[in-house]
Amino acid sequence: MTTSVREPRRTTPSSRWAWLRGDRLTTINLVLTFVIICAVFATQSQYFLTIENFLNVGRTLGVVGIVAIGMTLVLVTGGVDLSVGSVAALSGVVTSILWTKSGIPLGLAAVLGLLSGTLVGFLNGYLVAVVRINPLITTLASLSIIRGLAFVMSEGQTNQLNNDAFKFLGRGEIAGLPVSLIIMISLYVIFILVMSYTQFGRNLYAIGGSPDASRLAGISVTRHLLIVYTLCGTLAAFGGLIISSQLASSAPRAAVGLEFTVIAATVLGGTSLAGGKGTLIGTLVGVFILRVLDNGLTQTRISSFYQDVVGGLVLLLAVGFDQIRLKLTDKLGGGRK
Amino acid sequence: MTALLQMQNISKSFYGVKVLDDVSISLSAGEVLALLGENGAGKSTLIKILNGDYQKDGGSVLIDGQPTEITHPRDAEKLGIRMIYQELHYAPELSVAENLVLGHLPRKSGALKWMVDWPKMREMARDVLTLLNVDIDPAAKMGSLTVVEREIVEIVKAVSRQARIVVMDEPTAALTPPEVRQLFGIIENLRSRGVGIIYISHRLDEIKQIAQRVTVLRDGKHVNTLPISEASDENIVQMMVGRKIEDRLHVRALAKQTSFGETALSIRGLSKADAFEDITLDVRRGEIVGLFGLLGAGHVALTRSLFGVERPDSGQILVDGAPVKIISPQHAKRAGIGFVPLDRKVNGLVLGMSVRKNITLSNWDKLAPLGVFSQGKELANTRAWVERLGIRMAGGVEVETRFLSGGNQQKVVLARWLEAGVKVLLLNEPTWGVDVGARSDIYDQLEALAAEGLAILMVSSDIEEVLNVSHRILTIYKGRITGEYSQAEANQEILLQSAAGGAQ
Amino acid sequence: MNNRLRTRGLQEAASLIVMLLLIIFVMSQLTDVFFTARNLRNMMLEVSTVGIIAVFTTMLMISGGLDLSVAANLALAGVIIGRFQADWGILQAALAAVGVSTLIGALNGFLVTYVGINPLITTIGMLSAARGIALVVADGLTLPVFDLTGEATDAYTLFHQLGEGEIAGVPLPIVIMVVLLIIGMLVMQFTTYGRALYAIGGNADASRLAGLSVRRYRMIAYTLTGFSAGIAAVLLTARLYAADPKAAPSIELTVITAVVLGGVSLAGGKGTLFGTVLGVLILTTLLNGLRLQSTSTELQNIAQGLVLLLAVGLDQIRTRNINWLKWLRTTRALPAGQPASNGGN
Repeated sequence: MTTSVREPRRTTPSSRWAWLRGDRLTTINLVLTFVIICAVFATQSQYFLTIENFLNVGRTLGVVGIVAIGMTLVLVTGGVDLSVGSVAALSGVVTSILWTKSGIPLGLAAVLGLLSGTLVGFLNGYLVAVVRINPLITTLASLSIIRGLAFVMSEGQTNQLNNDAFKFLGRGEIAGLPVSLIIMISLYVIFILVMSYTQFGRNLYAIGGSPDASRLAGISVTRHLLIVYTLCGTLAAFGGLIISSQLASSAPRAAVGLEFTVIAATVLGGTSLAGGKGTLIGTLVGVFILRVLDNGLTQTRISSFYQDVVGGLVLLLAVGFDQIRLKLTDKLGGGRK
Repeated sequence: MTALLQMQNISKSFYGVKVLDDVSISLSAGEVLALLGENGAGKSTLIKILNGDYQKDGGSVLIDGQPTEITHPRDAEKLGIRMIYQELHYAPELSVAENLVLGHLPRKSGALKWMVDWPKMREMARDVLTLLNVDIDPAAKMGSLTVVEREIVEIVKAVSRQARIVVMDEPTAALTPPEVRQLFGIIENLRSRGVGIIYISHRLDEIKQIAQRVTVLRDGKHVNTLPISEASDENIVQMMVGRKIEDRLHVRALAKQTSFGETALSIRGLSKADAFEDITLDVRRGEIVGLFGLLGAGHVALTRSLFGVERPDSGQILVDGAPVKIISPQHAKRAGIGFVPLDRKVNGLVLGMSVRKNITLSNWDKLAPLGVFSQGKELANTRAWVERLGIRMAGGVEVETRFLSGGNQQKVVLARWLEAGVKVLLLNEPTWGVDVGARSDIYDQLEALAAEGLAILMVSSDIEEVLNVSHRILTIYKGRITGEYSQAEANQEILLQSAAGGAQ
Repeated sequence: MNNRLRTRGLQEAASLIVMLLLIIFVMSQLTDVFFTARNLRNMMLEVSTVGIIAVFTTMLMISGGLDLSVAANLALAGVIIGRFQADWGILQAALAAVGVSTLIGALNGFLVTYVGINPLITTIGMLSAARGIALVVADGLTLPVFDLTGEATDAYTLFHQLGEGEIAGVPLPIVIMVVLLIIGMLVMQFTTYGRALYAIGGNADASRLAGLSVRRYRMIAYTLTGFSAGIAAVLLTARLYAADPKAAPSIELTVITAVVLGGVSLAGGKGTLFGTVLGVLILTTLLNGLRLQSTSTELQNIAQGLVLLLAVGLDQIRTRNINWLKWLRTTRALPAGQPASNGGN
C-alpha cells in the first residue's frame, strides 16, 4: 500500500532490547496487566483467588470468548461486525419460538437458531464484499434490523427454554469444568490452527494487510470475506444459544451491547482495526482480562454500574498505552517515516 | 514464429471518453518491449486490460497465436502474466516467504493437506531468492524491510511462478544505480529463459540499455513501433508529445546569474540520527540550489526536518539571518518556508477539493483574517496564480484537483506556497510523474520565480533536472554533504561520483 | 466536468427530497393523525434532539471523525442535572451538565488526535464509561427534574422554558436547532473552520503539510460534538421533567444513519448540513409514522436499518451505474433466442 517512497529505515541498532518489540511486547504487556489486575483483586477479596471463583469466571467466559473469535477474524480482514449482539438475541428467540410455538424438536430448533445467525452473517458478508458497503454501516444497519426482528418475532416477550438437555450447554459441567468453557477452548484451538497453519487463515492476514496484493495474487477477496462474516454470524448465534441456555429462556433484549464488549476484548488483545494484524491468543487474554475485571469488581461489592466504567477505561488505557509505546519506539527507532 | 503475445485493435472507453483507440502491440518470447507515452497516453489502461483488471470494449488478445479472453486477474495469473506495479502491494504483517507465495501457499500432503507446509514454503522462498541472487531473509516480516527491499521482493514474487509475460511499470523509480544494475541482471536472466517483458519507463537511457523494441502511445492511439537501434531520444520524445518541442531538457540556457540577494535560508550543523549529519548550507534570494543524492541519501529527510514534519536532533535553522524554531509545519509556514512534497496526490493536494480551495489552503491568515473568507479576494488571487503559472484545467477554478494532470497538479501545489507568500521554497522531486511537455514549463516557472527573489532548495535524484535548473549544486551521500559545484563546474560524471560517495 | 459534479449533488438532494415527500404522503394516507398540529409538533421536537446532535456530528464526520458516545454523553448530562439540582441550583446544574458533556467531547478528541486511538474504539470506550458513570450518579434510577421544594420557582420556570417555551408558536428546542443549523451552514460555507474540516477529511496529510493545525481542528470538532450532546440533554430534561440514565438508547445510531443518509461519507471530506437535515427529517418522519401505526415500536429499528442500507447501497450502485446500465443495454439489445456470448471477438 505504501506508495510514497520514504527514506529507507535503517536497521535499528541491535540492542539487548531488540526482541522486545511489536507483538511480543504487546502480549507481555497484556499478561502483565492481567497479573496485576488479579493481584489487586486478591488483596481486596479472600474469595477471589479460590478455585470456585475461577470456575465462576470460566462460566462467564464462554459467550464473549466464542463471539470474539468471529470478531477477531473479521477485524483481521479489516472489517468490523457490530451486529453480533443482535444476532445472539435472534438465535435464542428463533430457537424458543420454533420449539414452543411450532413444536419443532428442540435440537432441530437450536440448529435452526444457529443457522439464522449464519444467514445474517452471510447477508452482512454479501453487502460488504459484493455490494461493497462500508462494514461499519452495514453492520450498524443489521444491528438495528436484527434486534427489531427479534422483538417482532417474540412480540417483546421472554420465552421459556426450560429443557435439561439444552441447559446442559450453558450450565453443565464435564469433569468439573463448565461445558461452555470446554467448547470455547476447543474452538480456540481449532481457530488458532486455522489462522496460523491454513491457507485460508494466512489469506485473511493478507487481505487485511493489503486487499490489492491479495487480489493480484489471485486470492478471491470476495469469497474470503463472505466466509468470514458468515462464520462471525454463526459464532455470534452460538454465543446467543449459550446465553439462552444459561438463562433457560430467550429474550429479545438479550446481549445488548455485546458487540462493544467483544470488540473491546479483541482490540485489547492486540488486533488492529486497520486489519492485517491480530492473534486469537491475544484475543483470549483480552477476554480473560475483561471477565476477571467484572468478576473482581463484583467480588469487591462495587456497584455493578462501575463495571461499564471500568471496562471502558481499561479499553482506552490499554489501547492508549499501546499507541504511546508505538510512538516512542518509532522515535527511538529513528529514521522511520 | 508466432509472437508470444499479440494485443490487436484494442479499444476502451471510460465515461464516454476513449482512452484506447485501436491499439495493437506484440511481444516475442525473450524480448523486452519498451512501452512509452506521456501520462494519460493509455499505457496503464492497456496493461490493466492485459491483466484482466479492465475489460476491453473491442479488439482481441492472442497468446501463442490463440485468441484468449482475460476477464479477471486470475485468468492472467494462469496464463503466466505477471504485473509489477509502481505501487507496491504486499501484506506487511506476513513474512517475506509468505508474500512470495501469496495465493499459492504450499500445503502438506495426505491427511493434513489443508495445512500450510511451512518448511517447504521457506525452502521455496530461499530457492527463488538465491536463484535471482537476492540476499533477504525469507522469515523477516515484509513491513520491516526497506522500500527497495520490498520492491525487490515484489519483483522476485512476480517472476518466480512460471512467468511468461512480465509487465514492469517504472520499476527503477525508487532504485539506486547498483540496484538498477541488479534489476537489469534479473531481466536478462528472464529473457534468456524465454520470458517476454513489457517495460514501462520515462527514462530513455534505461530503455536503450535494456529494450529491443519501442512502442509509443499518444492520446490512446498507437503512434509507432521501432527497433531500439532506430530510435533516437529526439524522435521518441517527438512521438510522445506529438510536436517538436525545443529540447530544453538538454540545452537549457539558464540565465547566467552571478549575483544573488541576501541569504534567505541558512542551515548550521543540522543532524538527525540515521538520516543526515552536520548539514550546513545557505540559499540566497533568487538562487536555486539543487541538492542531488540517490534515494535514501538523507536529502528527503532533510527537507522534512526543515519543514517541521520531523524534528532534527541538533543544529540551527535561520531564515533571513534570524534563528527560527521549527517544530511543526505551522512553524515553518510562519517562518516563511514552503514545502512541495514527494507525492502530491498523497501529501500535496486535497484531491476532492477545488483548485481554488487548494491554492488558498495555506493563506487563510490574509484571506480570512477574522475566520471568514473574503470571497472576491480569494477568487481574484486564485485566478491570478492560474494565469501566472499557466495552470490548465477543464471547467475553471472550481474543478476538483483530482481531474488535473500531474503537471497542473504540481503547479497548484506551487501556487499554494506562492499565494502564502513564502520566502523559501523546498521542492522534492518537482517533476516526478510529470510529462515531458509540462516539465520544461515548470522549470521555466521556477526560474522566473527565483528571478523575483524566491530562494529555492530543490531535492532531486534526477540528474538532468539538477543540472538544468540549479544555479548551484550540492551532493549528499549517506546523510552528509559530499560536494558543492557551481553551474559551470557540474556535469553528470562529477555529480554521480560525488553522490555515490566517491572522491570529492 | 464540474457541471456533472454539481448535477450529481443536486440529484442526490433531489432524490432525498422525493424520498421525504413520498414518506410524508404514505404516512398521511395511512393515518389521519399524521397531519395534526399536535403530531407535527411532537415530531419536530423529536427532530430537535436528533438534529442538534446531527449538526455537530456532521461537521465531525466531514473531518473524518466519528462519535458513538453521544447517547451516553447525553444521558450523563441529564443525570447530572437531576442529581445536583438541589445542591447547586437547577441552572448551575444545567451549566455543569453542558460543561461535563463538552469535557467528554474534548477527552474523545484528545484520545483520538493526540494519543492516536482509533475513533471507533475511543468512543466505544467512552460510551461504556459515560453510561456507567450515568448509572452510578443516578443509582440506576430515573431522576425527577422539577421544583421539589418550591423554593426556586423562578429558576425552574426559566429552565423549563428552555424545553417548553415558544417563539411565535414554534417550540424553543426547534428554534435552537434551526439557529444552530443555520450557524453551522454558514460556518461550513464561509469560514476557515469549515474549510479546514473539509480539507482535513479530504486529506489529513496534505492539510498538515499545507500548514493547518489538523489536531486542533479535530479536537474542536470532537469537543463541539460533546457540547451538542449536553445542549440536547438540557432541552430534553427541561421538556420531560425527568432524567433517565438509560435515556436515548442508541440515539448515536439514529444520528449516524441520518448523517450518512444525507450524503456524508464515513471517510470524510464530503457531505453537507443540508443533506443532514433531509436525512434527519426522513428518518424521524418514518419513525413517527410507524409509531402512529401503533405497530410494534420495534419495527422502527428494522425500518431505520433498512433505510440506512438502502441509502448507502443505492449510492454504491449509482456510482457504478455506468457499467451496470451498459450491461443492461447490451443484454437487452441481444435478439431473443441467441446465446448471450460465445467468448469474445
